[in-house]
Amino acid sequence: MIYQQLVNGLMLGASYALVAIGYTLIFGVLNLLYFAQGEVFMVGAFVGLYLVLYAGAGIYGAIFGAMIICGLIGAVAVFVAVRPVRKDRPLAPLISTIGLTIILQNLAVYIFGGQQMAFPETIEQRLYQLGPVTISSAQLVILGIAIALMVLLWLFIERTKMGRAIRATAENHETAALLGVDVNRIVLITFIIGSGIAGVAGVLDGIKNSNISPFMGLAAAVKGLIVMLLGGLGNVPGAMIAGLMLGMIEILSAAYIGTTQRDFFSFSILILILLWRPTGLFGTRVAEER
Amino acid sequence: MFDGLLDGYTQSILIFAGINVIAAYSFFAPFKTGQVSIGQAGSMAVGAYASATLTRKFGLPFLVALPAGGVLAGIVGVVIGFPALRIKGIYLLLLTLGFSEIVEVIVLSWDYIGGAQGFRQIPFNPHTLDYVLVLIIAIVVFFGRLERSSLGRAMDSIHQDEIAAEVMGIDVVRIKLVAFGLGAMIAGIAGALYAHQATYIDSTTFNVMTSVEILTFVVVGGGSTYWGPLAGAAGLSLLPELLRSLRDWLELVPVAWTNFFPVNRIYDFLYGFLDFENAKRLIVYGIILIAMMIVRPDGLLTRDSMPRWRAVRRKLAHA
Repeated sequence: MIYQQLVNGLMLGASYALVAIGYTLIFGVLNLLYFAQGEVFMVGAFVGLYLVLYAGAGIYGAIFGAMIICGLIGAVAVFVAVRPVRKDRPLAPLISTIGLTIILQNLAVYIFGGQQMAFPETIEQRLYQLGPVTISSAQLVILGIAIALMVLLWLFIERTKMGRAIRATAENHETAALLGVDVNRIVLITFIIGSGIAGVAGVLDGIKNSNISPFMGLAAAVKGLIVMLLGGLGNVPGAMIAGLMLGMIEILSAAYIGTTQRDFFSFSILILILLWRPTGLFGTRVAEER
Repeated sequence: MFDGLLDGYTQSILIFAGINVIAAYSFFAPFKTGQVSIGQAGSMAVGAYASATLTRKFGLPFLVALPAGGVLAGIVGVVIGFPALRIKGIYLLLLTLGFSEIVEVIVLSWDYIGGAQGFRQIPFNPHTLDYVLVLIIAIVVFFGRLERSSLGRAMDSIHQDEIAAEVMGIDVVRIKLVAFGLGAMIAGIAGALYAHQATYIDSTTFNVMTSVEILTFVVVGGGSTYWGPLAGAAGLSLLPELLRSLRDWLELVPVAWTNFFPVNRIYDFLYGFLDFENAKRLIVYGIILIAMMIVRPDGLLTRDSMPRWRAVRRKLAHA
């Protein structure tokens, strides 16, 4: 039983981690709480659904399409809500991206309607018995994609030139610019990557829960924020581990204490972290006034 | 007061616009000291549920339950405000968000106040419009006086630079706490008014999007002057109603002009869009929010725009 719950926790945690990675990347380079991340996640799920329903795409096609479209949304966000906004007002980009959040959510309500929509089965349902744990083929695929994506991203951040430029920008804009990093371009790329990952997470979530709605983004956004904070602002590996942790905590508390108390636990963690360890469990990568 | 003058529809629109104005001031109070909260919906929920419990379960009159709900929300606000003093910026934002989510979870799992079914059959208060008007006038006068008082100037200085304010001998901790509690109290009052107008509330009535809407009101209206929240909340709440009347104008366009291909589609789209039900209204809010941040990041009304009016008035008086 406990092993089964741990697998479920891993599944939930993987999607939290993917959303939080986007948050933490963007927070790293801009010190901006990019609220629209949850809505990008929701749009990703809908893009995946429509690709499966109307373009006959398989799961990989849906994921790839969602990644591209959401990456584009990230780029649009930069050009519409980040670059034109005045830099001398710290609140301005936060509020303009909140505006983007409102637009995305309600555009989805307007286009797709306010109800839940069923996400069709794209993976042949097969059950595997691994010792005490039963795991379905869909779960294996989701977990595999999520983990592969995280590993790739980690390699990208730590091992490539672009990744180094992102880390340099996160540390200090001016210094990075002086050393020849095109900060504007890095910001754009970070938004595209973060949004693309959120789009993938949306499709995976749609497959996992087999239904999606325009309001799924808000919950994902809030959970992603908790994970980002838990892992330390701007800390990508931290967000990955913290996402898996939060998923485990939620599933275990839902299984052994009660489903309504599940969210209570996550928000209590948020507040406790804020009060006692605002740098998160693994330390922040950004210098931020507290 | 307005029974003979306004029909029920107009009254309810004015009432909800008025509640939005009050809620906007609940954001404005802590914002005056530089504290940005997206947990005002949580305080609204505390006030709404507390007052509804008092009227529905204990049979107390609304006139008692309204301030009681406000005071309770204020106390909860101060309790939240204490730890909030230590943190600012993004961290404070997240703390207030967490607070409002925790309120939501508690409401959802507490069966005495309705739980997941929501709180039903809250006694309807027939005089909400009068209450709203009186409260708005009181709040605007209060913040107007505050702006010119030493306390208000102390708040502004904390907003500008907290360390400098402290060096000047301002009790930063106390003033920030007062501002936070005051905001929570006003939010509680707004929530109580809402509960006794809608007569039904549940855990999703006051959610994160409510808080975000409240923030929008102040940002659009202008957060640096006390007229800003009033202008933003009233303007954005009444805007859909005004735009809806654009439909009447569209109907005046002769059919012969619009019954061929590209134009009829555009006409139908515009006509359909202008009914401004919730999703479309919020899309327009979002666009306004982004446009405001690009064009006028301090809001429609700023301190600079206020004295100019006063100068005009003075000129008129002398002419």
